[in-house]
Amino acid sequence: MKKIVLKKFRLTKKVFSFPYILFLLLFVIIPLVLILVNAFLDGDNHFTFGNFKTFFTSPASTIVLGNSLLVGVITTAICLILGYPVAYILSKMSSGRLIVLLYVLPMFINFLIRTLATKAIFIAMNVELGMGTVLFGMVYNYLPFMIMPLHTTISGIDKSYYEAAQDLGADKATVFLKTTLPLSVSGIISGITMVFIPTISSFAISQLLSNGKIFLFGDSIQLSFEQNLYGVGSIMSLVMLAFVLISNLIMNKFNANSDNVRRSLW
Amino acid sequence: MSKRIFKLFIPLIALAMVLLPLLAACNSSGGGASAGVDSLVIYNWEDYIDGGDSEMGRNDIRDDFADYYYQVTGRKLNVTYTTFDTNETMLTKVLKGDAKVDLICPSEYAIEKLLTAGLLQNQKALYSFLKPQLDEYGLSLDYMSSVGLGDGAIEPDIMQVIKSQFGAIQSGSSTHDMTEYMVPYMWGTLGILYNKSVISEEDLQTYGWGVLWNEQHSNLLENKILMKDSVRDTYAAALFYMYEYGKLPQKYSDISSAQDVINITDDEMLEAAEAILTEQREHISGYEVDFGKDDMLNEVVYADFAWSGDALWAIEESYDEQTDDYFLGYYCPTGENPMTHRQRFSNIWYDGWVIPNTVKNPLAAMLFIDYMCRPQNAIRNSIEIGYTCAVAKDRLSSAEDVLSYIEEQEYDVDEYFDDIGRYPTIDSSLGVMRDFGPRNDALVNMWQRAKAGSAVNLSLLIIIAVIVAVIVIALSAYFIAQALKLRPRKL
Repeated sequence: MKKIVLKKFRLTKKVFSFPYILFLLLFVIIPLVLILVNAFLDGDNHFTFGNFKTFFTSPASTIVLGNSLLVGVITTAICLILGYPVAYILSKMSSGRLIVLLYVLPMFINFLIRTLATKAIFIAMNVELGMGTVLFGMVYNYLPFMIMPLHTTISGIDKSYYEAAQDLGADKATVFLKTTLPLSVSGIISGITMVFIPTISSFAISQLLSNGKIFLFGDSIQLSFEQNLYGVGSIMSLVMLAFVLISNLIMNKFNANSDNVRRSLW
Repeated sequence: MSKRIFKLFIPLIALAMVLLPLLAACNSSGGGASAGVDSLVIYNWEDYIDGGDSEMGRNDIRDDFADYYYQVTGRKLNVTYTTFDTNETMLTKVLKGDAKVDLICPSEYAIEKLLTAGLLQNQKALYSFLKPQLDEYGLSLDYMSSVGLGDGAIEPDIMQVIKSQFGAIQSGSSTHDMTEYMVPYMWGTLGILYNKSVISEEDLQTYGWGVLWNEQHSNLLENKILMKDSVRDTYAAALFYMYEYGKLPQKYSDISSAQDVINITDDEMLEAAEAILTEQREHISGYEVDFGKDDMLNEVVYADFAWSGDALWAIEESYDEQTDDYFLGYYCPTGENPMTHRQRFSNIWYDGWVIPNTVKNPLAAMLFIDYMCRPQNAIRNSIEIGYTCAVAKDRLSSAEDVLSYIEEQEYDVDEYFDDIGRYPTIDSSLGVMRDFGPRNDALVNMWQRAKAGSAVNLSLLIIIAVIVAVIVIALSAYFIAQALKLRPRKL
């Protein structure tokens, strides 16, 4: 029996994906199942819905969740507003690629070290730690994730579009609004996804840059697991996951729409 | 179909075959003893032992112990040292059976929890079991307090507190005396680490715990206070403050001892504590567990709710050459508040060595505890980490080598032992915190709410949010209009 199997076994391309499938199974699927199971267990491993009750009836969880979403939206918006002009200008410059590297370079330093350094600077400047500093830290950490996809998309746009628009008598503003902006929507979408989702689940930045006074959803999850409240912590993780899935879904929807926009340009 | 499954399994099996021996190798190198070498696995707090100092020519105390072990038994010892940062981390690991260790050094309430779960070895029983072997080596373990030879080298007052609070712990159907399961290692109090130039001695005497709520309404202190990001400690502070200022709910009006106050965890008390902690948010800089000492030394904040050992360490570092004085001080609130005429309480805590059921080398574990309790070694650890060792004060001050060591480390012997921060009077105004049992979850939930605050200060946020919303709406309106305008018309 075994011999036959070995004979039939051929080293196809598919085989090379197996290690990754195994990895996925071990470190993504199984943990997810564990979270799901834990959500329904109380401290003594008995089945319960109590964790859901604890989470959904507590005003603290809504406040924390609301704060996290607010921080996420504001960070994403600031990153977009700051990042778009940078990416646009850099894509017009011949040395743009090099300068983008300068923007991305800080990413190679561990974010914890960067955040601690930021904190030290704030303290030296006598800035009171709070919401403002947390937002600064978030933007500082996630701005490269906005600039990168935007720069790639914008520099990938065919120059002949601009030329055609100019030939047809469009002024500079119109060229930008009718060619560059619509054509870079996919970059904007992936930028937003790459900033918003990590922001709403981040925890260390808010903890460090507000001395623990700004308590975000990630902090709350961390505290629950640290204090052995696996049930409530699992539910929070599931809620977080739901938010990630929802925002992904919305982004994909947008992306599909932007394809239409692109097609409609023809 | 089945073929496909088989195909899937082959690389799986191959991978398992590669990984399993690797994993096994990892495991055995951690715990197993190769021929002629014994091993001892210690699970302790971070920075909680004398790690030596090569510049001063001082050995790591763990190496010294290995040498001592070799001397008495003739076998080499391989000491593996792992650390935890909170009792909860340690408890999670040990309760789930993930920690295969010989020795742990948790706090009293965590020991209570482990003992209740039946995970600890009775050291007295272990001693009689090891007795023949010990006799053979000519050892007696008489520095230990747990083996039935009196209090050993340990401070009798501390043993008294442990005996009275944890003398009868229920585990299943049997009752256990914690003094037979643990040997105290370090102890201390909770109090206020303060900056002398901002908070005067008089302020402390007048306001007591109220200093952490900025009761004196000092502009300098406002937003310059740090609390512990640790639920049990901060909860204790809230209770002490409420008691001192008469803010406890009506039904607790007849409570009059520190011990009773800090072990109340019913809903009404949690609610009151939550309100007090939420109120405190307006006055403090934030919560910390690790950077408080540094922030105090850098004068970023002026008051820090601290453990005595951390505080003493920070004071040591705060020596100012210009004024020839230390600019930080430690105050453990005691006595009576002159305004409210109510007693001040604080917390006394101690960490101790316990031997879990996972022990593989009980002899080395017992020898290690005994070794740590020797005055000479206790003072080494104590001076290195700043905390007060549990070895009796008169045992320390009567040992010649201890005194010379203290002087060698540039301390004044009298000052060292008379420091009220290091050696407070152990009386009824210091309460021991027990394990909260099933109420712990309710406490953590309260802490989550207190940390979340009412809501973020919205004035600035609303402005930003409105601007952002306007931009987003404008952009999306533009895109939708464009998309509609440019949509290819049907022919």
